[in-house]
Amino acid sequence: MALTGRTALVSALGALFVGFVLPSWIGVLIVQLALLIAILCDMALAAPARKLHFTRTGDTTVRLSGEAHIHLTITNPDRRTLRAQIRDAWPPSSFHPGSDIPASRHTTRIPGGERRRLTTTLHPTRRGDHHAVRVTVRSYGPLGLAARQGSHHIPWTLRVLPPFTSRKHLPAKLARLRELDGRTSILTRGEGTEFDSLRDYTPGDDTRSIDWRATARRQTLAVRTWRPERDRRILLVLETGRTSAGRVGDTPRLDASMDAALLLAALATRAGDRVDLLAYDRRVRASVQGRAARDLLPALTDALAPLESELIEADARGLAATIHRHTPRRSLIVLFTGLDTAPVEEALLPVLPRLAQRNELIVAAVADPRIEEMAAGRHTPQAVYAAAAAEQTRAARRRTADRLRHQGITVIDSTPDHLAPDLADTYLTLKATGRL
Amino acid sequence: MTTAATVTATPGATARRLWIRSRGLLLALLLLVISGLVLAALQSGEQHGRLDPRSADRTGSRALAQLLSAHGVTTRVATTVEEAAAAAGPHTTLLVTDPDVLTADQLTALSAATAHTPGRTVLLAPGPASLQLFAPGVQADPAVPNAPRRPGCSLPAALSAGDALLGGLRYETSAPGADHCYPGGGLPTLLRLPAPGEDRDTVLLGSPDFLYNFHLAEQGNASLALQLLGAHKHLVWYLPSVSDPSSAQDNQPGLLDLIPSGWNWALLQLAIAAACAALWRARRLGPLVPERLPVTVPAAETTEGHARLYEQAHARDRASAVLRSAARGRLAPLIGVPPTHAHTPDILLPAIQAHLTTATTPAADLHTLLFGPAPADDKALVHLADQLDAFEDSIVSQERHAPREHPDR
Repeated sequence: MALTGRTALVSALGALFVGFVLPSWIGVLIVQLALLIAILCDMALAAPARKLHFTRTGDTTVRLSGEAHIHLTITNPDRRTLRAQIRDAWPPSSFHPGSDIPASRHTTRIPGGERRRLTTTLHPTRRGDHHAVRVTVRSYGPLGLAARQGSHHIPWTLRVLPPFTSRKHLPAKLARLRELDGRTSILTRGEGTEFDSLRDYTPGDDTRSIDWRATARRQTLAVRTWRPERDRRILLVLETGRTSAGRVGDTPRLDASMDAALLLAALATRAGDRVDLLAYDRRVRASVQGRAARDLLPALTDALAPLESELIEADARGLAATIHRHTPRRSLIVLFTGLDTAPVEEALLPVLPRLAQRNELIVAAVADPRIEEMAAGRHTPQAVYAAAAAEQTRAARRRTADRLRHQGITVIDSTPDHLAPDLADTYLTLKATGRL
Repeated sequence: MTTAATVTATPGATARRLWIRSRGLLLALLLLVISGLVLAALQSGEQHGRLDPRSADRTGSRALAQLLSAHGVTTRVATTVEEAAAAAGPHTTLLVTDPDVLTADQLTALSAATAHTPGRTVLLAPGPASLQLFAPGVQADPAVPNAPRRPGCSLPAALSAGDALLGGLRYETSAPGADHCYPGGGLPTLLRLPAPGEDRDTVLLGSPDFLYNFHLAEQGNASLALQLLGAHKHLVWYLPSVSDPSSAQDNQPGLLDLIPSGWNWALLQLAIAAACAALWRARRLGPLVPERLPVTVPAAETTEGHARLYEQAHARDRASAVLRSAARGRLAPLIGVPPTHAHTPDILLPAIQAHLTTATTPAADLHTLLFGPAPADDKALVHLADQLDAFEDSIVSQERHAPREHPDR
């Protein structure tokens, strides 16, 4: 049950009736009675809100900052016409900031026995699973004095995937990969490359790649072509503990790591390598294993979408053990974590060297541009003290990175914008030098 | 594309919408201000300073006041009852310009102050309320228009003045010894009531018009006014005003007393309507939707906290050491010193000296700059940071412009 503005207006006009015609308690009572009867009639003539049938269709996944359309089909089984205001409630972060009220409300009119489709347009501003909360119907009577109100629970889940903004770097990195791959004329020969095929010598080829044995057989000069190794294993490990929760700019470190992981996965799949994913803090938060190249990226984005940082200290020993289980053969392990001195030196340093012995290990960390900004501060005592504090932080990070490098681990410490391309470059370098 | 177009169109559209929405209101405000000004201008003309002995307007009485002072009568203007009562001593004429606006308490105070002292009270157009106190037994009769009238009595002032502009209320009394002058339709418009056994009288005038500046020169107006008001040496000119604190009354009617009786019920109905409106606005279309909020920890928080701690503690020694060490760390690779030796003065300083082509900085200064003591105050710290920057820049630019050996040779 709900009243409308019209009820209040009619009641206010009733004051004129009382004042001019019947200035007594009888007049007040008459106005009240008339209004009550009108409201009751209106309620009786309004279509019941609880008897409606709903079905949902529409998008189930959308990239962050994309637009999703969710359709709601409403069937009115009653004889009475439904004149209703309908609210399709979603969490506030499913809409553009400030537009949730107009975007979630619909006004509709459904004659008895018919059905209509309403479309709610969502603009999610947060990654993860967004669940439809409830559908509230306010069904007005023909006089517009009163309404029946009821809610229905019509479940629907919209998965908002990471934006993968670094995919703009993919064409450039793929071009570099093709250069490595022997498909172009430039050929670099390294210890980790595999024999690909023989072809005729053309002027300009490296004379060292001439295969004399084949030349002898074929009577013409033949050169060997090479290609990088294929079918290597790559394990992307995202540490989702408290160090990944810190915000750099307006996004958590974890989101920057995800972006870099997605670019590396896209690149490695094209290069013919096999990519697995593991997210861990004190237990496995997400895991993608043994996917074929074709459905790897969808599987990865799907696994990463609901991932959030937990405000707990990651269990480095458990992490190392889990990585160990996931890598039966020599692999490239990319560990996305922080470079804060205490957690790295106390927890990671004792366990990482063992992993690095068997595998190629990259530690990728998100640096904060704010620190760079502070380090450049001058001219006021305040800015110079801030610069000193920033230099202190940078020195500590550098020391930690150096200790990791000393163990044969590759360390990438980049700002969010540069992390993904830097990681891709490191991967390509490792591939070119055959260290996978 | 469309999104971009809407976004760029938004600020202009908002300003336009704001203008459209507010222009009606602005127009109404403008009308209100203009009509107020016009009304004020129309009303101010005639009524301003009416019967005020300081006003030279048409309806002021400055001409009369000046005539009176020329005849040796001192005029004192009073605006409150206390002032008027205090000034109304013996041998004083008290002129009350508008007795009807006074409250009962004010009238009583005034009549108590003037009774039993020799003098004269002149009341201009008093109504029944003021007559009751000042001239008991006198009855006010309906007004006649102002016109030049004949004296028609034996009052010396009236006789010597001759015709005068009088009219307004007329007064009727049976008191003995009263002078009934300037009759209109058989009843006097000027009545003088002598108090029995005292040198005191009360003069009632039906209309004040003959005291106005622009009527004073007509007929015998000036003469009549001078004789009525100049009978004693002093004149108290009482102009009742709203600002008089004694005019405030406790028993003023409240809002509910002002509403006509039957409309109380309409007011009740309006209250019910307000309750309906409250119910209408209070009902939500479904409950609020909660959201699990993300953790917001700025990554640089500890560093910023560190910076503020340095600042509060004025940790110049620590800050300068960190800045110098960072500068040394950046310089070392430029001049070919391994990072492990970057903080040893014995290795770093000679390498820098050897590297500098033009010896702009003496060795002692270089040592102070890179390994010196902590600055004495914050200003020196800022200066040190700038010096380190400048020195680094000079090394970097020298590196860039230095003639290099060709790598192939």
